[in-house]
Amino acid sequence: MNATEWKEKLSAIRGSFSVSIAAVPAENPEAIELRYLGRKGELALLLRDLKDIPLEERKPLGALGNAAKQEMEAKLAELKGAAGAAGPVVKADLDLTLPGWPFPKGSLHPLTVTLNRMAECFAKLGFSIAEGPLIEEDYFNFEALNFPPFHPARDMQDTFYVDLKDASGKDMLLRTHTSPVQIRTMKGQEPPVRIISPGRVFRSEAVDASHSFAFHQIEGLYIDKHVSMADLKWTLETFMKDLFGSSAKVRFMPSYFPFVEPGAEVEVSCVFCRGKAEAVRCPVCKGTGWIELLGAGVVHPNVLKACNYDPAKWSGFAFGAGIERFAMLLFGISDMRMLYENDLRVLKQVQQ
Amino acid sequence: MKILYSWLSDFLENPPSPEDLAAKLGRVGLKVEEIKKTGAAFTGVSVGQILKIDKHPNADKLALVDVSDGAGTLRVVCGAKNIAVGQKIPFAKVGAVLAEGELKKAKIRGVESEGMICSAAELGLDGYDNSGILVLPDDTAVGVNAVTLFPKADYVLDVEMLPNQSHCLSHYALARELGVFYGLKLKEARIFEGSAGAAGVPVAIDAPELCTRYTAIVIKGLRGARTPDWMADRLRAMGSNPKGNILIDGSNYVMYELGQPTHCFDISKLNGPAIRARRAVAGEAFITLDNKTLKLDPGMLVIADAKNPAALAGVMGGLDTAVSDLTDEILIESARFNPPTVRLASKTTGIKSESSYRFERGTDPELTLKAARRLAWLILEAAPAAKVTQITDVCPVKYQPPVIEIAPARVNAILGTGIADGEIYACLRSFQPDLKDAKPWKFSVPSYRQDIESVWDAAEEIARYIGYDVIPAVSRMPMLPSSVTPSWAVTAELKNTLAALGFSEVYNYDFLSAKEMQACGLDAAGAVELKNPLSSDYQFMRETLLPGLLKTLRYNLNRGRESVMIFETGTTYLKKDGGKTEEVRCAGLMAGDFPEGGFWRGGQGAADFYHLKGMMTRLFAGKGGFRFETPKKAPGYFQPGLCLEMKLGGAGAGYVGKLAPAVAAAFDFKDNNIFYFEIPLACLAAAWKPEFWQKITKIKPVSPFPQNWRDLSVVLEEKHVWAELERSFSGVQDLASARLIDVYKGKNIPAGLRSLTIRFTFSSMTGTLNDADVGARMTAILDKLARNFGAKLRS
Repeated sequence: MNATEWKEKLSAIRGSFSVSIAAVPAENPEAIELRYLGRKGELALLLRDLKDIPLEERKPLGALGNAAKQEMEAKLAELKGAAGAAGPVVKADLDLTLPGWPFPKGSLHPLTVTLNRMAECFAKLGFSIAEGPLIEEDYFNFEALNFPPFHPARDMQDTFYVDLKDASGKDMLLRTHTSPVQIRTMKGQEPPVRIISPGRVFRSEAVDASHSFAFHQIEGLYIDKHVSMADLKWTLETFMKDLFGSSAKVRFMPSYFPFVEPGAEVEVSCVFCRGKAEAVRCPVCKGTGWIELLGAGVVHPNVLKACNYDPAKWSGFAFGAGIERFAMLLFGISDMRMLYENDLRVLKQVQQ
Repeated sequence: MKILYSWLSDFLENPPSPEDLAAKLGRVGLKVEEIKKTGAAFTGVSVGQILKIDKHPNADKLALVDVSDGAGTLRVVCGAKNIAVGQKIPFAKVGAVLAEGELKKAKIRGVESEGMICSAAELGLDGYDNSGILVLPDDTAVGVNAVTLFPKADYVLDVEMLPNQSHCLSHYALARELGVFYGLKLKEARIFEGSAGAAGVPVAIDAPELCTRYTAIVIKGLRGARTPDWMADRLRAMGSNPKGNILIDGSNYVMYELGQPTHCFDISKLNGPAIRARRAVAGEAFITLDNKTLKLDPGMLVIADAKNPAALAGVMGGLDTAVSDLTDEILIESARFNPPTVRLASKTTGIKSESSYRFERGTDPELTLKAARRLAWLILEAAPAAKVTQITDVCPVKYQPPVIEIAPARVNAILGTGIADGEIYACLRSFQPDLKDAKPWKFSVPSYRQDIESVWDAAEEIARYIGYDVIPAVSRMPMLPSSVTPSWAVTAELKNTLAALGFSEVYNYDFLSAKEMQACGLDAAGAVELKNPLSSDYQFMRETLLPGLLKTLRYNLNRGRESVMIFETGTTYLKKDGGKTEEVRCAGLMAGDFPEGGFWRGGQGAADFYHLKGMMTRLFAGKGGFRFETPKKAPGYFQPGLCLEMKLGGAGAGYVGKLAPAVAAAFDFKDNNIFYFEIPLACLAAAWKPEFWQKITKIKPVSPFPQNWRDLSVVLEEKHVWAELERSFSGVQDLASARLIDVYKGKNIPAGLRSLTIRFTFSSMTGTLNDADVGARMTAILDKLARNFGAKLRS
């Protein structure tokens, strides 16, 4: 076979292929494929015949053959698509835009999401979880925390009492802060101690946009040798950066909590306006550039003594934060009551 | 606490501006929450008199008023309803500067107004009737500059006071803080510097443990002495209501000024006259200034005359010995009382006063004489004819300043700083100017700072002095692996699973009303009760999470939701053996459509028991030894017969079921198609392993050979429940699973029977099971079903 004959043959194959492919009723595409492109198909055989043609003429013919092969394959694929192995395409009667099966979407509460995230930050810094009861004794809630009886500092926390007495005959109370867990933990183990204790606390206060008679706190306590206020600041700054981004800065202001000395109120730089609030009053930091977020300080020697830790040997820091405040900042909630209304239209917006 | 800017400035050589002052106080921990302008700051307003009132030609609600300002008559347009001819009024001419700015010439509804008759608000005055124009007293002279009629412009700073800031509870005290921390020069108040003998009214302290010092000054010849206007203005700005009597107002003034509460007794009303600081006799009666009769007890300190209590020390004076406008001779009391004693008396009697507030926080023992002399000076200014006849200062317990050794290294170790010795010394010197520079410094605590007890307290003062920003954020904390508690871990897992199943987490309060307890059939006797609830709605501690969840369901149904799946994790409380138990539980409910909103192709419906049961199965999947049981006694809030108990490794794992109709009715639901579960977390926590590798379930090998299945339909009596059948399949050789795929009753099945279709799947680890193998096993199963349950193959 010479080159001309070969080309004529190719053209004939292409012609009969196009007839087969357009046949009505449609031929089975697999059968057509076998006839033309199969191992013993017409085109395959023709390509094999190339070996008899002189080398210098062979190359362009090969290209022609391959082009024809590709064209046939494409046409076949089209045909298969129209009536493929999976069956013919169903048009019009299947509206794929109809909704899918409505798998129910649940949600975690904003407070849970916030708390989990906070606990995760502190876990990275080596803080373990500790827990304590909600109905507490005066001793753990106040006295061991350096709130002596009849001390005015007790007025800072309006207390609910219940109809139960502790072993010393005092009325039991609903814990007003998570700090009693500090005492329970220290009394239960030798230093060093590095814990956080999240949980619910109670204060006898009227409910409004920023107060609730039940709310949540996270307590932190670290006791070791040579612990200072600088360790505290680093810990809280690292935590804030984790939560609010690397630009967050922490500022300490003098404050008072009976169980720490020195005591500090901890503020974080306003990540919402980045301190550029002077012109437009930022609703979050009220134009000050700083947001008050927690209370902290060096553990008071009286607290260490109450737990039989020697203040000459051990030192530590403690901090406490309201989780509602963090949740409100993170989720952009302006009224605390929203967190206890349990409106599913609100809750289902939470992505976990 | 309110602080008057002008008053504070009395004690400073060079007072900073109010804003600077607020910043300086804030930096040392005295937060100024508000700066408010007070007093009269307007200009261009004179006293005018209304001569004539005409109707405005173009407006019904406006009037044209002729006002005389002493120099001439001007015509103004006025909209106030309370105007009347002859009234004296503040009259602002064009150009006057008022609260809202400068007054400009204006045409109102076509008539030019040559000025304005002002209301208190327009003048920027607080505390006056603001319903119309401000009507001045009839005897006010026309033409006088009206600003002279009112207190001078000033600022009121609202400073937040923490319980340890007893040394800051006065104007002088704050000036002193500014002196210590910023080196501002102090000025002292004028005091009575004369002398008088100690004889006269005898003063005795019978309880020196409760009263460590008692200073008395006697003044005679006071009749009719009145409070000067400047003092009344300052008291008013403080929010205190001046009485006009210098003996009462002066005493309050000194308290706000110096922080020392004082009290004046009318000597003519004192038995003896004598003063005794003693414990109250049990049951002793005492009538307070505001005419309340108290029953006293020996825990309380009283200031008594020769017979009766004349004052409940530090809390309130007595009615019988109170000064009046007729009083001619007084005894000024200025004392130091034991703080807890005053606090206890205040708590027991329920009387809180500015005086008890200061005493219970601790007053300066070295201040009593100065305060009494200050009050004497103020009284003598108002009553120049009066004379001081006695000064007695009884001090059984002298103030001994505690000495604290302060080493700079210790201070830096507490703060984590590298503050230079010189700076620490400078700070301590500002408290104690005569401190010798020998380390460790021996710091004598000033009498007004008894809250400084240790080097920790001193470290705080040093940090305040230098600024808290001196503390760096650096740490050499060693790394430490962290751990969680079992309850924390299982709570997190449970919450995530429930949320993934479609439940939304809610947070409810722990408190219930008696009515809610009753509605759930709970016994109030076992519930922990609050002694001081906010209201009867919040009287009991919850025994179950059910009421909160039902309220949440109600709340959301009321807002148009048709499908609710919610859960909560929280503590429940019960009284037990004279004590209490706290149990953390996880509970949830589903009601309405499932899935929510339905599906256009069908396959949805109302939530039912089996949906929730399936969720429970999923929740406990993989937990060893989980099963459902018929409860021996289910909680009363479940519908009887429609509740299962859950067990995990033999321990109770709660209940799942349908709400009892009575509970649904009590909460006003239209039906009881509400499905509820409650799980005590202890069962999960007990099974929780702290080590990850222990928690992991080892993977079992699976058969490499093909599995085989057969469906079997049998008809049997309904009394044989599925769980019984399921148990009977155990031990069937090579049986991988027996899955119920259909339950049928009705046509072709006799009453009392039902048809169950079960798909049995077989798999062997040793080879392929052929039809004969499977057939043999199916025969065995059918035999067993026939034998045990009388089951027949369905034809």
